[in-house]
Amino acid sequence: MIALPAPNPATLARRDALVAGLRKILPAADGVIADPVRLKPYETDGLTAYRQMPLAVVLPETTEQVAAILAFCQAQNVRVIPRGAGTSLAGGALPLADAVVIGMMRMNRILQIDYADRYAVVQAGVTNLGITRAVEADGFFYAPDPSSQLACMIGGNIGMNSGGAHCLKYGVTANNVLGVKLVTITGDIIELGGTHLDAAGYDWLGIIIGSEGQLGIVTEITVRILRAAEGTRAMLAAFSSNAIAGACVDAIIGSGIIPVALEFMDRPAIHACEAFAHAGYPLDAEAMLIIEVEGSADEQTAMLERIKEICSAFAPTSLKISQNDAESAAIWKGRKGAFGAIGRISPDYLCMDGTIPTSTLPQVLARIEALSAEYGLKVANIFHAGDGNLHPLIMFDANQAGQMQKAEAFGADILRLCVEVGGCLTGEHGVGVEKRDLMKVQFTEIELDLQRAVKSAFDPDWLLNTAKVFPLDRLPARASLPHAA
Amino acid sequence: MIAPDSEAGFAAAIAAATAAKTALNLTGYGSKAGFLRPVVAGETLSTRAFRGVSLYAPKELVLSARAGTPLAELEAVLAESGQQMIAEPPRYGFLGGDGVVQSLGGIIACNLSGPRRIAWGAMRDHVLGVRAITGRGEIVRSGGRVLKNVTGLDLAKLLTGSYGTLALLTEITVKVLPIPEATGTLVLHDLTPARAVAALSAALGSPFSVTGAAYLPERAAAAMGYDRPVALIRIEDVAASVAYRLQALRQQLGRYGASALLDQAGSLAIWQAVRDATPLAVGADTMIWRVSVAPSQGPGILERAQSLGLDGYLDWGGGLLLLAGPATQAAAAALSGAVAAVRGGWWLLRAPESLRASLDAVPPEPAALAAIRGRLQSAFDPAGVFTPGKLHAA
Amino acid sequence: MQTNFTEVQLRDPAIQVADSILRSCVHCGFCTATCPSFITVGDEDDSPRGRIYLIKEMLESGSAASAPVAFHLDRCLSCLSCMTTCPSGVDYMHLIDHARTHVEQTFRRPWHDRGLRAVLAAILPYPARMRWALRAAGLARPFVGLIPQRGVLFARMRAMLALAASERVVAQGVGDVTAQTVHPAQGTRRGRVLLLAGCAQRVLDPGIHAATIRLLNRMGVEVVIPQAAGCCGALTHHMGKHAAFVAQAGATIRAMTDALDEETDAIIINVSGCGTVVKDYGFALRGEGPDLAGKAAKISALAMDVSAYLLKIGYQRTRPESGLTIAYHAACSLQHGQKITDAPKALLRQAGFRVVEPRDAHLCCGSAGTYNILQPEIASSLRARKLDTLTALSPDAIAAGNIGCLTQLAGAGIPTIHTVELLDWMAGGPCPAGLKS
Repeated sequence: MIALPAPNPATLARRDALVAGLRKILPAADGVIADPVRLKPYETDGLTAYRQMPLAVVLPETTEQVAAILAFCQAQNVRVIPRGAGTSLAGGALPLADAVVIGMMRMNRILQIDYADRYAVVQAGVTNLGITRAVEADGFFYAPDPSSQLACMIGGNIGMNSGGAHCLKYGVTANNVLGVKLVTITGDIIELGGTHLDAAGYDWLGIIIGSEGQLGIVTEITVRILRAAEGTRAMLAAFSSNAIAGACVDAIIGSGIIPVALEFMDRPAIHACEAFAHAGYPLDAEAMLIIEVEGSADEQTAMLERIKEICSAFAPTSLKISQNDAESAAIWKGRKGAFGAIGRISPDYLCMDGTIPTSTLPQVLARIEALSAEYGLKVANIFHAGDGNLHPLIMFDANQAGQMQKAEAFGADILRLCVEVGGCLTGEHGVGVEKRDLMKVQFTEIELDLQRAVKSAFDPDWLLNTAKVFPLDRLPARASLPHAA
Repeated sequence: MIAPDSEAGFAAAIAAATAAKTALNLTGYGSKAGFLRPVVAGETLSTRAFRGVSLYAPKELVLSARAGTPLAELEAVLAESGQQMIAEPPRYGFLGGDGVVQSLGGIIACNLSGPRRIAWGAMRDHVLGVRAITGRGEIVRSGGRVLKNVTGLDLAKLLTGSYGTLALLTEITVKVLPIPEATGTLVLHDLTPARAVAALSAALGSPFSVTGAAYLPERAAAAMGYDRPVALIRIEDVAASVAYRLQALRQQLGRYGASALLDQAGSLAIWQAVRDATPLAVGADTMIWRVSVAPSQGPGILERAQSLGLDGYLDWGGGLLLLAGPATQAAAAALSGAVAAVRGGWWLLRAPESLRASLDAVPPEPAALAAIRGRLQSAFDPAGVFTPGKLHAA
Repeated sequence: MQTNFTEVQLRDPAIQVADSILRSCVHCGFCTATCPSFITVGDEDDSPRGRIYLIKEMLESGSAASAPVAFHLDRCLSCLSCMTTCPSGVDYMHLIDHARTHVEQTFRRPWHDRGLRAVLAAILPYPARMRWALRAAGLARPFVGLIPQRGVLFARMRAMLALAASERVVAQGVGDVTAQTVHPAQGTRRGRVLLLAGCAQRVLDPGIHAATIRLLNRMGVEVVIPQAAGCCGALTHHMGKHAAFVAQAGATIRAMTDALDEETDAIIINVSGCGTVVKDYGFALRGEGPDLAGKAAKISALAMDVSAYLLKIGYQRTRPESGLTIAYHAACSLQHGQKITDAPKALLRQAGFRVVEPRDAHLCCGSAGTYNILQPEIASSLRARKLDTLTALSPDAIAAGNIGCLTQLAGAGIPTIHTVELLDWMAGGPCPAGLKS
């Protein structure tokens, strides 16, 4: 289990006074939650293996309220945990006992849509899919599409620099944001970027996006919206082994074709997802690719023909091109619901998120298989094959003593392997609390110290989302734990 | 000038400079020395002796090279595998023409992107990882060699576009893509700036994956041999798609009047010119601005610039203006004021020495952000030795 | 998700079921996005995932329900949108049903809450009492201005009076067609069905049963109405009043069972809220003795929404196309509870209407049984949201398969009509009252 810092006894002792202070900022009856029963559902997020009750939860509705809360918390030396929809698979929204959780879900309005300049201004609590839903009738969409896009909020996407299945062509969150309204721990409201590309001066957006709430809280976001292609079509290609499917991925990219999406699933993943989505996934295959192309009907056909030809060289066990939008939607429903669908075959799972050089896929999958046997835990693999982002889903039963610890160790081994072959710990889910202690596998202490110093530049007292991202053992003196009141 | 040929050499030089509190002008081949504000430095530290491609995996769309590698050398390596830099980094003509060598490190440090930025992102969007040296002389890495990576704070992005004021980039890994099979261009004639930007917005708001959208007003057009203003719309893809989409766009944009198509060679030539600011009329005492605004604000800024004696052209669908004209304090203040009023950004790329020192070369920051920047610079460069004054007055 | 029940607790079959439901939840949070109460309130505690967590804590502790738990469970509409969304297949319905019973049995509500619930449970399931109550409410209507503006109790009183004084246009002088037991088929008999007469709908809009019977008879189907089958028990079931539910459902099940013969095709239900519960009798009454449990399972298996039955036997219109645009409002009990999504739309298209659907069709209109009375604030917000999306379609009428929705959405200037009335009209029946005005 992961260690959490000892709570600050002074903060705990002043709980009632702090809650009263927060209630002055948020006078609405239910704007501040302090009742332990009500707090309970906030003790965890999408990673239920880790749980910790917070001191209180606040649900602000305006940027000014967020600023007042942060200024109050800094003045009172109270830690703060930002939370969006709570879908993090890395424990990004895990509370601390002496921390106030700032829930952004009430800030869920779309403020402006501009088609001529192709941007939308939204509050942090708008869901990722909510943006696309608001503009799709006019043919536009918001490009990053994490699997949790139905529920996850754009503020959380900013925190984790979320990706998705279509980033090979359209990029991740950082590539699709023009501006943000950032509230600093001092309660200052700073506008970064705007409605134009490439703000002059430092790339503040670049460092804020993906900073996991370490630097400030983003309340408003200006995102690029793009015109959707004339149409898209997905294709399923099934193979008799993981290695063959991996080789086929290499061949496709090597041919100069960049499909808009290129997804890989192994046998257990295919079975779990098919049970949920009924998309016609090939249940007899060892591995399957979802390949998507876009353009006019003719363009799609031409591109799929070329891809089919490449696949044919790898003796596919089946090739299936979706015949209509409903079939394509079903194919994606299965993929996007994959993590939840694992709930049908296992009560608990840990989802890893390492990225590897795509050429190492067969080698990595073979090693994962061996580890699976070693640990006695099943694993399903889902892989954004185009960009090397691998999602092994380790299945376990948390009600069985010791299995959780085993799953954690298995996961850590996989991530070490990802780094060893030239990849990284996390491609799109973030470090959160889950991979915090593995940061030393990827970075030297000097590198970590530099990152810590960047955090300190924004948050000198280390009050923002403490105990995430950075290993606890070398926190700066000012954040030494338990910290001084 | 110091020009080490190893990271250890850089680290030692920097550590020594920090110990002696000697400011260093970080540079490659010096092509962008005139950009932004003047640097007051006791020594120049160049990457020009640290060059070469260190990793190239075409099937993984990844290339790593040392910071001093000339851009041309890099692009030649990529072209052998049918690939290219995605963001189309410019070789600005006003830097001195073909003889000028630009380093990869310089392009990254200045985050310079060409016309394709509108569709495929800026240089900063393709930087997968960097190796860099801090003011303490410590070698640090950020990012890596994989396409998707959110491990830790993204220092690579922070360093991209920081003009050498935070750390010395020694090696950069970028994402690359195949060179498109075909390139074609739709040319719309004789539109006012506002109508041209409306047409470009319509094109960029179409489902046809436009990868270039520029407007050359009368003088810029004339420099390229057109007798009237032209709006340019580029498609890059397989040949059949390019032909189909240009036709579809032409129909869709019929209300903007007569149009023409450019073939492959014509397209490559005109977009290279747009990329390299070839249409800019540049003299010895000219000031040159690069301005980024929401596209619909482009025509208004152009008009304001013209009223101040500057002229130039629009790229990025109207959102990027490259402007040049006689350098005066008053014109500079008026132009930056106009850009600030529409919440845009600017880079004063070149100006006479006296003017550069007294102007904001990029927009000033609010006080709260300036304070954060101060702490951030100290974190990277505690003695303040890196390229001081380049972005902001010390 | 991990659970912490003791071995002793797990000996209780109901806890075993709850445990297995809880364990299938992986806490991914997808459900939050399509939950009407979460979208309205913006609090994890008012989301399905939050409630699952509250329920888990409550059941694991083995203690009485606390006020906050009751408060947040009460704010669940039981629309079951979460179940449509859930990739893990979490059986939220049975979990919240279980939890509601636990709350009802272990938590003492404030006097006014208890009183109101008792009054609703004592009136709504009984048509005669309900007729009387509506008349009384009509008399009270002029005094609505005297009700104070603040306070839960007063808000509920206002909500009740507003519903009682619904401006919805319904067929007049139809009489209670359900008083007659056998409605013979016209021409050759092609089938025989039982029709659940139910309770509130009979009073609020007797024309719906009339249309259902006319249409089925015309199509050659004999319709039998077992007179002793009244309320299905949905209302008390959703209040967690298990004993009352068993009594009401039991009476209905026995009456239905008695009326079954070998040629009975189906038990037809034209209130989808009831249909969801009747289809669940087999599960909900599994512990009530083998006799009732067996009968309940049989009734559940035979239960069919009227739209599904009509589609199965082949509906055809006889009148020329009306040229009308109908906005189809998917009742949650139909789309989420029974997973019937296409049948009503297909039938309306076959009837020659232009069928349109609102944005966010998965969201509840706020009716949800007695929810609009018990939770007037959230309900009215959901009603406004739903009406915004419906009026944006500029339809001639709104069609739905559930009397609760029809009442909830009335009064916005667009007639709300049961799907079966529109189908009956286009197959030779009278024009629905709402369209005539």
